[in-house]
Amino acid sequence: MLQFFPLAFKNIFRNRKRSVTLGVNYAVVTLILVLLFAFSAGATQNIETNLMRSSAGHITISGQYAKGGRIYPGIPDTKEIVDIARNTLGSVEAVPRYVLMSTLYFKGLSKRLTFVGFDTATDNGFEDQLNFLGGSWQAFLNDPNGIIVPEDTATYYGLTTGDQTTISTRSRLGAFNTGIMKVDGIYTSNNYFAKGFVLAHYDFLQKLDLAGSDSSSQLFLYLTDTSRLNYKRDLLMEAYRSAGFEVSKPTSDTEALEIVTSASTKYQVDKANRDRVMLRIATIGEVLGIVRTVLAAVNAVGSVIAAIMLFIIAVSILINLRMTINERLREIGTMRAIGFETTGVTALFVSENVILSLIFIGIGIIAALLVTGIFAYLVVLPSTGNLGLFLDRGHLVLIPTVAGVLGVAAVITLFTALFSYFPARRGGRITPVEALNRVF
Amino acid sequence: MNNIRTKSSRRLILLVALLAAVGTGAVSAQQKNDPKALQIVKTFEDKLNLEGVDITNTFNLVQKKPGEADRVLQIKVYRRDSANVFTLIFQYPSSEKGKGYYRNGNDLYLYLPTTREFVFRNRKDDVGSTDVRTDSFGRLDLESQFFVSYGGQEPVAKWTCDVIKLDARELDVSFPIQRWFVRTTDGLPVKVENFSASGTLLRTIYYIEYQPVASGKFLFSKLLALDNLQPGQKTFITNEAISTDPIPDYVFSKAFLEQQSR
Repeated sequence: MLQFFPLAFKNIFRNRKRSVTLGVNYAVVTLILVLLFAFSAGATQNIETNLMRSSAGHITISGQYAKGGRIYPGIPDTKEIVDIARNTLGSVEAVPRYVLMSTLYFKGLSKRLTFVGFDTATDNGFEDQLNFLGGSWQAFLNDPNGIIVPEDTATYYGLTTGDQTTISTRSRLGAFNTGIMKVDGIYTSNNYFAKGFVLAHYDFLQKLDLAGSDSSSQLFLYLTDTSRLNYKRDLLMEAYRSAGFEVSKPTSDTEALEIVTSASTKYQVDKANRDRVMLRIATIGEVLGIVRTVLAAVNAVGSVIAAIMLFIIAVSILINLRMTINERLREIGTMRAIGFETTGVTALFVSENVILSLIFIGIGIIAALLVTGIFAYLVVLPSTGNLGLFLDRGHLVLIPTVAGVLGVAAVITLFTALFSYFPARRGGRITPVEALNRVF
Repeated sequence: MNNIRTKSSRRLILLVALLAAVGTGAVSAQQKNDPKALQIVKTFEDKLNLEGVDITNTFNLVQKKPGEADRVLQIKVYRRDSANVFTLIFQYPSSEKGKGYYRNGNDLYLYLPTTREFVFRNRKDDVGSTDVRTDSFGRLDLESQFFVSYGGQEPVAKWTCDVIKLDARELDVSFPIQRWFVRTTDGLPVKVENFSASGTLLRTIYYIEYQPVASGKFLFSKLLALDNLQPGQKTFITNEAISTDPIPDYVFSKAFLEQQSR
């Protein structure tokens, strides 16, 4: 078949208008599919990176504990849990966070907000993600009652740096507790997951929640080697079980997401009526499960659109090839008369279409890479709303993978070969006499 | 030299021991009930806890927030203090209709008709996001939750009041510090200040008017709750259609709440 390629290449643009029309279809389908997969890969990576920089670890642990017939939120024995993780998994960076849903009061206005408490001595995850519109990181470090508020929150309250606000929370035990917090910074962030938090000192929130000094609400574990994460999580679960903890892993995507998002106090009666600590452990893969489901749905919709376009291409191939064969009957008759077999003629016509598709698939890929580059470097989109989920510093994250690009090219090429074969074979079966009779 | 060191060490140990003893004494003094205060509390609890009678009444709540339209709620209350139970059913507005609370001892459940589920709540939940707590509707048992101390006398409006300070035994109560102002003339509380664990005044409740419902038993008929963190936000309650007719037992059940929501 390869010997027909030079001849087929010369024949491609004999009817330029028809070939370009069909080729544009190839290019558009390629463009759509490559961009779609690039978007999917980019979104997954962007969400994973941003989530890990703000609200999750490779392994995230949240928990509750039962005491005296009631269930309270939070992890009471953080140090022990960290020690077990280090003994089990080796080199682990453990970052505890204290998260509270509380009401902030200022000049007659109030709003329920998510407060994230972190230890500035050991947890520098937020420092490089904040763009300060007022105040500074240093002012926050120097002030144990300080908070850094997002721009939206500052605008809602009319807050400026130096303002003192009142926070009132229903503590984990049930009693209300209050505190005075000073605004040491107003920020925006390019990280979708970091930009809604009021950032506070870990100790402050811990005391406000009337919790013990070893308490936390979430614990993020960052591993140096992230391979076989599920296996490592299972090892960890076993170690916690042996130490007397009650351990579970998420059974659904929603449950996994809850482990990194839940902060609101829920009062529950302990039906087991047995004092114990219950840990829920999720891997980053599970946390992203719901994202992957959504992206799979986006991919599916895109693939349906591409399938419709491929169907149009299939019809175009059939019509084009029939017309081409009718136009080139003299050529077919001559080729058959000088000794070309049926397979030779079929191979020539299939080769022509495959080469046409390869040329325009290439153009489609180049166009997709150009669009990716334009979005990555030139187009800045507003990171407000849910669009921010897919943006990195305002740029849409598109990551075309080699596997994705080659896969798209292979599928379209095979598809072309398949749908060219049947009309080409019909052309190849025409006898020399029949072909020449139809012409003369 | 050694002698001196030994002597100073002994002195230091003695001083530490003395301080520890004083400290312990102070703590135990703080954590003891003041008999006079306790007597005042027992007296008003005896008047406000309506053991021996079932009470059915309707509360009208008007919540005022600056810059917002008034919010009105109507709640029917069934109360049996002898069993420490009550049932609250929202009757107005239509968006809240069918919602209700059932309290049995320390367990409080909120019934949500939209999802037909019972949600366990802290026993001092807000009623319909107002400044009024569900415990305002039930039997009082302050001694079991708080240490009681006497804070002298202060005037409230035209009345001289004994001031009772409550400090929570456990931090599982909504307001771990409270000040109750009890009228010296009839021993009924007229004002309650609720503080957070850190001592910030969060809410003030004024019992404006009481109505006798049985011999020596009273139920407030007008109450004003002020939100001290949000000046201008207040909830006014009037108590109407008070009845002491016996209430069937099934009213104090989750099933009754479900039935009423249909």
